Formats: sequence, C-alpha cells, structure tokens
Amino acid sequence: MNEINVAFVGNPNCGKTTLFNAYTGARLKVANWPGVTVEKKEGRMKYHSNSYKLVDLPGTYSLTCYTMEEKLTRQYLLDGDADIIVDVADASSLERNLYLTLQLIELGKPVVLALNMMDIVEQRGMEIDLHRLPEMLGIPVVPVSARKKRGLDILMHAVAHHYDKPAVPKEHHHPVGAHIHQHHDEYVMVYSDDIEDKIDIVISMLEKKYRDINNVRWYAIKLLEHDREIMERYPIDLSGIADESLESEIINQKYDFISEIISEVLVNKERKSAATDRADRILTNRYFGVPVFFLIMALVFFLTFTIGDWIKGFFEGWIEAFSNATGNMLENIGAGEMVISLVTDGIISGVGGVLTFLPNIFILFLALAFLEDSGYMSRVAYVMDGIMGAIGLSGRAFIPMLLGFGCSVPAVMASRALEDPQDRRRTILATPFMSCSARLPVYVLFSDMFFGKYAMIAAYSMYVIGVITAVAVLFVLSKTGKKTENDLLIELPEYKTPSKRTIAIYVWEKISDYLQKAGTTIFIASVILWFLLNFNTNGLTHDMGTSFAAYVGRFFAPVLSPAGLGYWQIGVALFSGIAAKEVVVSSMGVLYGISNVAAPEGMSMLSSILNDSGFTAINAYSMMLFCLLYVPCVATIAAIKRESGSFKFTLTAVLMQLGIAWVVSTLFYQVAIHII
Amino acid sequence: MVLYDANPGENVIIREINLQEKTTRRLEMLGMTKGTKVSVLEKKRSGPMIIKVRGTRVALGRSFVRGIRTEKYE
Repeated sequence: MNEINVAFVGNPNCGKTTLFNAYTGARLKVANWPGVTVEKKEGRMKYHSNSYKLVDLPGTYSLTCYTMEEKLTRQYLLDGDADIIVDVADASSLERNLYLTLQLIELGKPVVLALNMMDIVEQRGMEIDLHRLPEMLGIPVVPVSARKKRGLDILMHAVAHHYDKPAVPKEHHHPVGAHIHQHHDEYVMVYSDDIEDKIDIVISMLEKKYRDINNVRWYAIKLLEHDREIMERYPIDLSGIADESLESEIINQKYDFISEIISEVLVNKERKSAATDRADRILTNRYFGVPVFFLIMALVFFLTFTIGDWIKGFFEGWIEAFSNATGNMLENIGAGEMVISLVTDGIISGVGGVLTFLPNIFILFLALAFLEDSGYMSRVAYVMDGIMGAIGLSGRAFIPMLLGFGCSVPAVMASRALEDPQDRRRTILATPFMSCSARLPVYVLFSDMFFGKYAMIAAYSMYVIGVITAVAVLFVLSKTGKKTENDLLIELPEYKTPSKRTIAIYVWEKISDYLQKAGTTIFIASVILWFLLNFNTNGLTHDMGTSFAAYVGRFFAPVLSPAGLGYWQIGVALFSGIAAKEVVVSSMGVLYGISNVAAPEGMSMLSSILNDSGFTAINAYSMMLFCLLYVPCVATIAAIKRESGSFKFTLTAVLMQLGIAWVVSTLFYQVAIHII
Repeated sequence: MVLYDANPGENVIIREINLQEKTTRRLEMLGMTKGTKVSVLEKKRSGPMIIKVRGTRVALGRSFVRGIRTEKYE
C-alpha cells in the first residue's frame, strides 16, 4: 500500500495549521494574518495500517491566481500529488468558508470538510445541522477542535475511507424545478442553464483540442472565468461565449448556493452578540484604537525590560560561575594561558554576554506571540491605517513593521503579504529601523552603564526614534514614486484565548533561533575577534592596541569621530556587529577583556574604562543611535536580497541605512556637546 | 449612497462595486456579491471601516468603501 497524500487547505485564520500540528506534532509557526505559512510544510503519520503524508498548504480564500498563496495552493492541488483534500473551515464563519469548499469540490478530488471552532459556534447559541450539511455538499463533514484535539480520530477515519471517492451529491438541492441540464446527480455545484450551456460548449472545445485533461469541467469553468494561467495553458477562442464579467456571475451563483445551504443548515443565526464585537468596540474604536495600541506596546516593552531584567540577574550569576569554573578547570588540567584566554575572554564572554539577554528576548517574543494568536494583530492594520495612509501605505504594511520589533528577518519576509511591488519595497526599506530584539542587549548595556535610573527611558527612546525614522523614510518615499491604489483589505478573525501550545511553539522557535545564533554566528565572531585582538603580524601580542583588530578599528575611527565614536574599539565593535547586532555587546566584553560584561560588576568596570577614555553618556547615546540605525545584520541583508531579488536595491538599502545612522548620530552628538 | 456614507450600527445592501476589476473580484470572492447584506461595525473619519459580511468581519480601506454602491436596509 502506497503512502496516501493528504493536503490541508483552508482560509487564513481557520486553525488549519493548529490542526496540522495536532497530527504531526511538527514545530510550525501559527500566525493570525493571511499568508504567513507561505512555505509548504509536510509531516508524516500512521493511521491503522496505512501511512499518510500530510501537507499544510498556505491559507487561501479561493483558487484563483491573484495572490502567491492562491497560486501555490492551486498549483499543488492541480499537479495531482494530493490524493485527498482536508478542507479546514472555521465553523463560526461557515458562510464565507464554504466558498473555498465549493471550489475544492469542483476540482474533482476527494474532499473531507473539517469543521473547526465548533465551540465558538455553540457559545454563540448557534447550531449547525451536521446531517443536512454533508447531504447538500456530497462530502463527509467532521466537527473537530484543533485546540482541544477533539475529533482528530474521526477525521482521519473519514480520510481513510474517502481518499478514493470524489464528492457525489446525495440529494438534489436546487429549488428550481425543471432544469434542462441533468447535472444534479453528478455535480455538487450546478450553475444556471445559461452558464451550464456555456460550460458544455467549452468542454466540447477542450475535448477536441486537448485530449489529456482530467476533470475537464473545472478547466472549462476556469476558462469562462478568464483565468489567466489556464488561458495560457489551454488557449481556446472564447469570443462570443463569455466576456470577463462572467466570473462575477459564477461567483454570485456559488454564493447563492451557499446562502441556500446556510439557510437550511445554520440554526439560530447570531443569537448572542459575540464577545469579539464587545472587545472591538474599544480596541478598534475610532478614538481609543490608536492610544490603546500604543499603551499595549508600551506595556510589552515595560514587561520586556522589567521582568526580563529581573530574570537576567540570575543568568548573569550562572554564566559568571560557569566562566570561573571553566577557567579553574582549564588551569587544573594544565591548559596554556592562550587557551584559557580564548575560552574565557573570547568564547564565554562573547557568547555568554549575549545569552544573558535571553530572558528579555523571551518576554518580547511571548508578548508578540500573544498579540498574534489572540487575533489582535490584524486589528492593528485597521487601527494604523489612517497613519499609514498619510505616508502612502495601507495599514497592512504596519504588520511587517510591528514584527520588526521581534526580528527583522521574518519582518522583511512578511512584507510579501503586500501585493504591490512598490509598497513591498518601501516596507522592506523601513522595516529594519524598527528596533529588533538583537539590538536590545546593546541598549540595555549602554543605558545601564551611563544613564542610571533613567536607563529604561533611554532604552525606550530608541524604539520611539526607530519608529519615527521608519515613518520619516516612508514619508519621503511616498513623495517620490507613483501613488498606488492599494488599499486595506483584511479579515478580522474572532478573538480567542491564545492556545498554550501555539504560543509555546512560536516562542520556542524564536528562542532556539537565538540560541542557535549564539552557538554559531556569535561563537564564530567571538573566536575570530579574539584572534584579531590578540595577534598581529609578529604573532601573539599582549597589547591589543597593536593587534590586527586595532588596525581595522583605526581605519573606521576617523569617519566615526564626528559622531563621538572615534575609538578603534568602537569601530571594531560596530564592524563585527554586522554579523549580528548582539555581537556589539559581546565584542565590548572581548575588547575590554571583561568576562561578564552584562553583570553589574562587569558594567561598572567597562563604564569606568570608557569614562577614562573620555567616553561619556553623550557618546553612549550616540552609540545606541548608531546601533539602532546602521546596516542591518547579514541575515537581514540576505532576506532583503531574497525578497527584492535585486542586488542594487539591497545595496541601496544598506547604504541608505548607513548614511542615516551616521547623519543622525553625528547631528545628535554635535548638538549635545555644544549644549551640555 | 456608497458604503462610506453608512454609519456604525447601520445595515446596507450592496448594489454595485465600482473598483478595479481585480479588486472587485476579490471582494466578491469574500462574499461581497450584489444583494449581500452588510452591517457597519466601525468607521474612522479618514475612511477605513470594519464591516460584517456573511458572518465575517472585514476591514476595508478608504478607497474601497467609497467604491461600493449600497442602499439602506432596515
């Protein structure tokens, strides 16, 4: 028996990925705005004696070819790999979800409908007639709860029994009496006589010209809809048969049938006002919406700094103890001075300095996961639409920017959700200014060292300046280039209590990324940095001022000096920070030979060294500004290159950011030293 | 009247969509076909609105809500 290939298809936000995860246990990202699962995800499982390959396809509203998700899903289903389709539908918005269901049935493959979120339906006092629905659709319908893992076995049972049986209507549904086309016992979705006539004509044309088409009816309908892709693949002369407005009529008739289903199947439509509507009265209110959003973000960062810093205290202790123990152990086994220096000053101070910030980053991602999974994220697009409109973008573009607070790489990737290429590029240019979590250690380090009890305000201000810079860049860009008519169109899903599993998976993914980065990029950068700092052309040196790194640093120092950053050590730190922004922190530790740079003792040591060299709070703030705005890390640069597909654009983005960073920090420094 | 003229709490019926061909199709696929009942949930002065159509909440931008011709429905 061969493996059975099961494709999971559904609208965005229908809980498809959660259901998929419940079967495969794959650690996948679940997000709440359309189009985040752009990649195809696969998992394998056994059910009874058969093995199944499950494929999670991108969330999509239809099978046309307008968006990337639609194209991907459709292509996969057409290529014929899938044996059966599991159509996951959000039962609480059944009417809209059934549109995709009808399209999937029309494809001619076996379909099982998984009705998710039945609990919300029940809460609202609604009922769905689970006997009538499968009768009318001609496919098995299984109620499931992806979150509570209910109905999973029954769904697989239905899959096992139907993977070789396409939809067959069990009962005639159209109320229209005499229909000259006797299709009702063949097809679930039957159109008006007028359209059925046209379908017949196109089918006969197709059959004459192309003999190898399976499910010719689907292709005929797509041709009548003037589907670009299918028209290129099977060109036939449609003149006199259909113009482009026929697509609209086909959509209308599908929805007419859906209305008919809903009126028979859905009992007590909307008896109670949904809790979501009450929450939205405040969260999306025309006056409160924006301030509430800013309050929520302020709370997120407040928690990140306070709770994060509190847990960070413990981490510092452990890492210091570990560093001392390792040093002692190496000494005991008779390791040479150089090895001990490499391990403690190079690796542990570099990697450890970055690991200390794990708690802050954990809290930040926890908060972002909560915002996403609760359904609030897509509201932000609406709330911010007014402000974004003033700078020439739709509120939708704000989602990638908000994600930029977590990490610029997925944020740049999320700009795909914007359809217009020009909007996408603008968003990509602005996103790296949103201060990502990797820059947070830099702020915490410098503001704790130089700003005492105002440290949190200093760190906070970086986020605000980042947002202002992003907005300013977008504003300037909106004055150039053409105006696009791309407007906001986004579904606002039902609010829900975020699922622990979903959040755990999301946060774990980010944390493991961070740990991986600490173990690879930051580890390697620390080792290289240690070598560059301890060697010169004559071999080992004890005076870092004569090392290779010092040469590199001195090369950058004159350029950075107007910004108050004309120190070779700072030059080295900033240069190595391009590998990953956290490296700025670890390199400060390595550069000044402080093993625990993020702990209070390490900080006071570093700040006194810096103070002695004339580096004061003004220089520190200038440094923070520069770190906020300058070249994004290599991973982000690679993401920009991937998403834009243009080397020139990527180079422009990098140079623009470098320029802005230099101008802003120089301006700040020059003004500040003349005032204070 | 266009959709933009309706206020929160009001119900309207879609009569016609006068937007780019592609946009019109996308709205129709989300269930905003001719004759569909729409309730307005939220509205900002600058334009964007939240509507409920076929049991789903959708946020629509300023130019979209001005391109959808509607009629009052009680």
